[in-house]
Amino acid sequence: MVDTQRLSRTTRPWLLLAPALVVLGALLIWPLVRVVQLSLQDFTLSNLVSGEDNYIGFGNYTEMLSSPLLWKTVLPNTVVFAVVCVVGTVALGTAVALLLHRLGPVWKWICSTAVMVAWAVPALTGTYVWVWLFDPLDGLVSHVLTALGLFDPSTTNWFTDRVSFYAIAALNVIHHGFPFVAITILAGLVTVPKELYEAAEIDGANAWKRFRSITVPVLKPVFAVVTILSTIWDFKVFTQVYLMPGGSGGNDEVLNLGVWSYQQSFAQGEYGKGAAIAVLLTVLLLLITAVYLRTLFKEKEL
Amino acid sequence: MKFRSAVVAGAALLLTVSACGSNDAGSGGSGDAQKLTVWIMQGTNPDATSFFDSVKADFQKENPGTTLDVQFQPWGEAHDKFTTAIAGGTTPDVAEVGTTWTPEFAAAGALEDLTERVGAGKDNLVQGLVDAGTVDGKLYGMPWYAGVRSFVYNKDIFDKAGVKPPTTWAEIEAVATKIKSSQPDVIPFAVAGECTYCAMPFVWGAGGEVATDNGGTWTAAIDSEKAQKGLDFYTGLATKGFSTPAAQTWKETDLLKAFESGKTAMVITGNWTLTKIATDAPALKDKIGAFPIPGETGGIAPSFLGGSHLGMFKTAKNKDLAYKFIQLMTSDKYAAQWAQQANYFPGSKTALDAATKTDDPAVAPFAKQMTDGGKSMPVTPAWGKVEGAKTLTKLIQSVVTGKATVADATKTAATEMNALFKG
Repeated sequence: MVDTQRLSRTTRPWLLLAPALVVLGALLIWPLVRVVQLSLQDFTLSNLVSGEDNYIGFGNYTEMLSSPLLWKTVLPNTVVFAVVCVVGTVALGTAVALLLHRLGPVWKWICSTAVMVAWAVPALTGTYVWVWLFDPLDGLVSHVLTALGLFDPSTTNWFTDRVSFYAIAALNVIHHGFPFVAITILAGLVTVPKELYEAAEIDGANAWKRFRSITVPVLKPVFAVVTILSTIWDFKVFTQVYLMPGGSGGNDEVLNLGVWSYQQSFAQGEYGKGAAIAVLLTVLLLLITAVYLRTLFKEKEL
Repeated sequence: MKFRSAVVAGAALLLTVSACGSNDAGSGGSGDAQKLTVWIMQGTNPDATSFFDSVKADFQKENPGTTLDVQFQPWGEAHDKFTTAIAGGTTPDVAEVGTTWTPEFAAAGALEDLTERVGAGKDNLVQGLVDAGTVDGKLYGMPWYAGVRSFVYNKDIFDKAGVKPPTTWAEIEAVATKIKSSQPDVIPFAVAGECTYCAMPFVWGAGGEVATDNGGTWTAAIDSEKAQKGLDFYTGLATKGFSTPAAQTWKETDLLKAFESGKTAMVITGNWTLTKIATDAPALKDKIGAFPIPGETGGIAPSFLGGSHLGMFKTAKNKDLAYKFIQLMTSDKYAAQWAQQANYFPGSKTALDAATKTDDPAVAPFAKQMTDGGKSMPVTPAWGKVEGAKTLTKLIQSVVTGKATVADATKTAATEMNALFKG
């Protein structure tokens, strides 16, 4: 009797977890295993047809890691772009959250609705809007700058230069990403006890000091979550780059890991090479997440 | 702490993996031997539904007890959809296959060899389309329809500048110069960075080749002196200021928009776009003119012969029935009707001859370009990879943006191409 009770105590949680684990295993673990398998093969369209494997060891990895394109273009583009976007998204999101927190109910509702619209716009639509805004001939930005005498459309195309290309992509990604951060941090702000701020005010702390010494420490876990999520999202940006003029592979200078992987696998049918790039992207993201979590929770063991 | 970081790492993994979306495998060949599933590309023929109603009626009359299921696929996703279907064994029985894809799918073992079934009928097929569908001497794609790109110009702008359609390269530049000086806000000739087929006529027109076949081994020839000369002229039109920097990242659709705005004098575009221009910009309707792409010192430069094959997939249950459908589609009656409705040229010589005997001033130059100068890109399964790698797009874009010289850019392209040919 006692034994069965103990058995059910240890097995019941696993039984309850089983459906979720099975689904996760089928939908996440198996594809991941498959990508790693693919990355060790010279796998093309004819392999897809015949269903035959063709293992070549680490050939795809050595080729990828010895490619100057990876080190000079793809990796710097991916990393710098992600850093800029994460900082931009979290900073703007925090600022908007603080603003929303101070507003009265009506304005809060109006502003948060406006913010949510930016979030609700699909990446594809949003990208076309930004591309259109920066169209060198007919875009709003070029019209305004031309009217101000700051720009000559007959000499410039922003999409061909690496820096201006990614600047536009960053505006797009930050605009699309900040609402999530703002709403999440706003939810956190509501939980901070008002007494803390009142006490600080009495002690003579200014707004910046209150933000640094109360808001940031209290909301640290929230910041951690939004930063990690933003990092993951901004590292693997694909749509916003691929759909920009010249972003789909016509200009090597603006390739990032996501587009490069897509180009190798689906445009050229080199599924093995594409998978190797995807594995590199996954490993990078796991490393970043692990390092970030370690530093975050080191001071205060949770 | 360990548990928590594991959870977050798991969540990270989840988000990374969920980024790799999956495609619908699509519905493909069914088990029913009397049912024929066909994929046709969407948008080529604006009146496709009634066309296929008529085909269906004829087909089912000739083959009682069969059903024909025609499914329309958008061009943009078609290549991915085909590869997914090939992987999953869910390909249709017959499909419209873009001519540059046929060697790729054939080499992958997905298409049925049609050589024997076509037999002597091959002599009546347009050669450029036969070439594009032949791998190792076997025909895998039945020529269906084709088109070419030529110059399309705005007659109003030409009249104002007092110029006539050019017939040599020197004249192209002279015409562009006159347009630029008489109408400064007009783009004389838009050089689109992402339109490789717009540039190829100049490579071929100078006597150059993209790549050459030496008994099955392909070698890049884009860095040859002649090819460089052609590219030098073409990209020179951009670097000398006859185009606009915005065009450096334009695709063919952007070229059309630029022409439709009425602010562009000349573009290179396909015959199938003429009706679209007239529909989108009714004001331009009577002002659209066309002329064949001239060779350097006259004549007609070869232009890429693009179009579609009808391919039979290996998964077809009833291959005789599938071929009967292909025959019906490429019969003079339906080939001509489709070509006419879609603004293309039919893939059989008899139907093409009839179609090219036209007086339509907008169609005649294209017909001439097609019969005198239709050419295919290198016919090798590896060409799909070169297209995928956008080797030629990178070449043109790097030159028109001033990032590389023609000599350097063609060398880079040749190296990349040769690596892809080797596999």
